Amino acid sequence: MLSFSALLRALPGNIAQGMIWGIMALGLYITYKILNFSDLTVDGSFSTGAAVTVMLIIAGCPAIVAVLIAFVAGCLAGLVTGFLHTVLKIAPILSGILTQIALYSINLHILGNKANQAINVNDYSLLLTLRNTKMAILVALIFAAVLIAILYWFFGTELGSAIRATGNNSQMAKAQGINIDKMKVIALSLSNGIVALSGGLLAQYQGFADVSVGRGAIVIGLAAIIIGSVIFEGKNKKEINFSILLGSAVIGGIIYYISIGIVLWLKLPTNDMKLFTAILVAVFLSVPNLSLGKKKEDKANAGN
Amino acid sequence: MLEIKNISKTFNPNSVNENKALKNVSLKLEDGDFVTVIGGNGAGKSTLLNAIAGTWLVDSGSIILDGEDVTRLAEFKRAKLLGRVFQDPMMGTAAKLQIQENLALANRRGQKRGLGWHISPEEIESFKETLRMLDLGLEDRMTAKVGLLSGGQRQALTLLMATLKQPKLLLLDEHTAALDPKTARKVLDLTVELVEKNHLTTFMVTHNMKDALNIGNRLIMMNEGSIILDVSGKEKEKLTINDLLELFNKTGELNDSMILS
Amino acid sequence: MKKLLIVLFVLLLLVGCSGEKGGDEGDKVFNVGVLQLIQHDALDKATEGFKDALKDKLGDKVVFDEQNASGDSANCAVIANQFVANDVDLIFANATPALQAASTATDTIPVVATSVTSFAAALNIDNWTGMTGTNVTGTSDLAVGALEKQAAQIVELLPDAKKVAIFYCSAEPNSVAQADEIEGYLDALGLEHQRFTFSDSNDIAQVAVNACEWADVVFVPTDNAVASYASEDQFSKPVIAGEEGICKRIGIATVSLSYYQIGYKAGEMAADILINGTDPATLPVVEESEMSKMYNPSIAAKFGIEIPSDYIAVE
Repeated sequence: MLSFSALLRALPGNIAQGMIWGIMALGLYITYKILNFSDLTVDGSFSTGAAVTVMLIIAGCPAIVAVLIAFVAGCLAGLVTGFLHTVLKIAPILSGILTQIALYSINLHILGNKANQAINVNDYSLLLTLRNTKMAILVALIFAAVLIAILYWFFGTELGSAIRATGNNSQMAKAQGINIDKMKVIALSLSNGIVALSGGLLAQYQGFADVSVGRGAIVIGLAAIIIGSVIFEGKNKKEINFSILLGSAVIGGIIYYISIGIVLWLKLPTNDMKLFTAILVAVFLSVPNLSLGKKKEDKANAGN
Repeated sequence: MLEIKNISKTFNPNSVNENKALKNVSLKLEDGDFVTVIGGNGAGKSTLLNAIAGTWLVDSGSIILDGEDVTRLAEFKRAKLLGRVFQDPMMGTAAKLQIQENLALANRRGQKRGLGWHISPEEIESFKETLRMLDLGLEDRMTAKVGLLSGGQRQALTLLMATLKQPKLLLLDEHTAALDPKTARKVLDLTVELVEKNHLTTFMVTHNMKDALNIGNRLIMMNEGSIILDVSGKEKEKLTINDLLELFNKTGELNDSMILS
Repeated sequence: MKKLLIVLFVLLLLVGCSGEKGGDEGDKVFNVGVLQLIQHDALDKATEGFKDALKDKLGDKVVFDEQNASGDSANCAVIANQFVANDVDLIFANATPALQAASTATDTIPVVATSVTSFAAALNIDNWTGMTGTNVTGTSDLAVGALEKQAAQIVELLPDAKKVAIFYCSAEPNSVAQADEIEGYLDALGLEHQRFTFSDSNDIAQVAVNACEWADVVFVPTDNAVASYASEDQFSKPVIAGEEGICKRIGIATVSLSYYQIGYKAGEMAADILINGTDPATLPVVEESEMSKMYNPSIAAKFGIEIPSDYIAVE
C-alpha cells in the first residue's frame, strides 16, 4: 500500500509548509539564540499575524501589504512583552506568557469575535496557497531569503552587534554603555514581527486564520532551530556563517514537516501522529548527543 | 576627577540579612591618581567600586565623576566615563562574539549605536596594532570567537577594551584574582603599562597586599564599610606589609573588643 | 549529519525508483481520504456514519485513509496536501478547518464535509444559494429549531427549575449566537437566566462552579470547547446539552441531531459522487437534519430524574 511516489508527490506541500514555519523559526532564532530569552509570546503573535492578514485581505488590502502590516502587529506584541520584562521587571517566560494570554482575546477581536475566518483562494489574490504548492515554495523561499539577508545585515550593524552582546553577556554589554533594556525590546519586537509575518503566510497558504493556529508554535520553532543546528553545526565547530545558521533554521522547519509527512504516509494509527512526530524529531535531536566530539566542546564553552 | 560624598548602601534593609555595606564613605581622587584598595572580606571595597560603576544606586550621598553628578545615572549611561575589568575573566567580554567584534563594541562605548556596520576597515587595522602590544598572537586571530581564549587572554583583552576609548576612570575589581600567578603577573604588568601610557585615573581593588604596595601612588584600606586608611605619595612608599598586617589585626581586635564591650 | 543526509538521499532515490502506479480496472476500489480536525465524540460519530454509509453502498470497493489533525488546525493543511498528492478519489472533511484546508488544497477532487455549521461562512461565500458551486458539498450540523426544543426540554424534565445558567466559550461565535437565541425561548417560558462564559478551556472548572452555584439547571449550546474539555464532575447541577456528544459527556438530556446521521448522510452523498459521477457543485448542502430526544442514563440517574419513554439513550 505504501507508495514512495506518493511520499514524493506530497513533498512540495510539506516543504512549503515547513518553510513557512521555518520563517517563524527565523523570528524565534532572534530571541532564543541571539537574545537568550525564552519568549513564549510567539504562540500568540503567530495567530495575530494570521488574523491581521486575513482580515486585511478580506477588507481589500493587497496581500503583500497585509503581511507587512501583520509584521508591524507582531512587533507591537513583542513590544508589550519587552515592556512587561524591562519596565515592570517581570521574568522573561512569564512576560511572554502574559502577552500570549492577552493576545488570545485580542486575536478574537481582530477576527471579529470569531474563532475562525476563511480566506477563499478562489475569491482573493493570495501570495501563496496550498492549491499550488510549487509556487508556494517559491514565494516562501523569496521571503526566507529576503529575511535572512535583512537579518544578516542587521546583526552586522552597530545596533545588531549590541543586541548580540546583550544576549551573550549582559554585564559586558552594560559596561560598554549598551542600554540592554532597549536592545531586548528591539529584539523582541523584530522577532515577533517575523513570527507574525509567517503566521500571515500560513493563513493564506491554508486558506483560513484560526485563533489557535499558533498554539504550539514555539515547539515547532524550537524543533526547527535545533534540527537545523544539528545538521549544520554538527561535530565540526568551525566558524559558520551567520546566514547559514539562519538558513539552517528554515531547513529545520522543512525537515520537521517532512517528518510529519512521513508519519502520515506510513499510515500509522492517527491518534499516534503526535507521538511518532515527537519520536522522529527526538531522533534528529539526539544525534549530536550521541557523538562524543561534540560533548567535549560543550564543556569547553560551559563557562559562558 | 572623582568625588564621593557621604555615600551609604544597605543591602536587604529591615531584614535578618541586613548588611550595611557602605557607611558614609567619602573619597576624592585627583586626576592621574592610581589608587589600590585593600580590605578583608566584606570590607566594602568591591561595593565601593560597584557604587561608582552604578551596578545599583546608593541610598544616600553623591558621586561626582569628571564634574558630572552621576549618583542617579544608570549603569550603562555611566559607562561612557568608565573602563571596567571584572574579577571573573568571562564577565568582561562576549564569548560568542569575535575578538574584533568585542573591540569594536568597546570602541563605541558611550556612543549612539546605529545602523552603520559594526566595524570599519580602519578599526580592524588599528585593533591589530593594539593587539600586537599584548604579544599573545591575538592579532592573527581577530575573527576568532572570544570563547576560545584562555582566562588570561580574555582578561588581557578586557583590559585593552576598557582602555581602548580613554576612560575618565578605570575600575579594576580584583581583576587578577582568578588567574594563575604567572598570568596574573603578566596582566598586572599590562595594567601598569596601559595606565601609564594613557595617564589613566585608576581605582584598583585587590586582595594582594604586595601588589597594593608596589603599584600606584595611593593606597586605601577599608573595613566594615568605611575607609580606615588613606595614604599617598611618600607616606605610601614607606608603608610595609607588616604595617598593613598590623593594621588588619588591630581592626580585628578593635572589632572584638567593641563586640565584647 | 552526513549519515542523516545520506539516509535522506537514499530515501529520495527509493522514492524516485518506485514510481509505478496501481492499474485502473473497471472494478475500481475508491480511495477516500478522511480528514478529521480533532479526537472528539461528535466528530468520531460523524466519521463512523460516513464510513458506514460508503461501506453500505460500496462494500469492499472503498478504502479509507484516515487522518486526524489532533487539534492542530495547521496540520489539516499537511493532511489535505497528502491526500491531494495521493490523488485520492474523494476527501471527507470533518469540521470547519478540515473543510477549509481541503477546499484550499484542491479544486478538482470532490470534497464532502460534515460537522460544519455554515458552509457559506466556512468557505467565505457571499451569495449563498444552497450549493457551493465548486468541488465541495456536505451536511451541516446546524439544527433548526433545536434550541426551542431544548428550552422546552428543561421544563419537561425539570419542572421545578427556575434559574438557567447558559454556559459556553465566548470565543465560539456559534455558541454566542445560540445563547442569544435561547434567551428568548427561556423568557417565553418564564425562566430566569444568566450567562456564564469562559474564553480559555483552562477556566472551565472555575466557571462551572460559579454557574452551578447560581443556577438550578445548566444549558450548554453546541460548544466545541465544552465538548472537548469539560467533565461530568465539574457540574453539580443537571446539564441540558445542545448536542449528543456534550450530552454523553456531561448532560442529562438533549434534543439533538445525530452526528452519526449527518455523517451517514454525507457518506451517501459521497457514494453518489463516486458511483454516479454527480458533480458536487450541483449537489445541495444538506442544511437541516432530523432531531431526536436523547438522554444520558448514568447522569440522569445520578440526579434522580425520570426520563419519559420517547427518549433514546446516548451511546
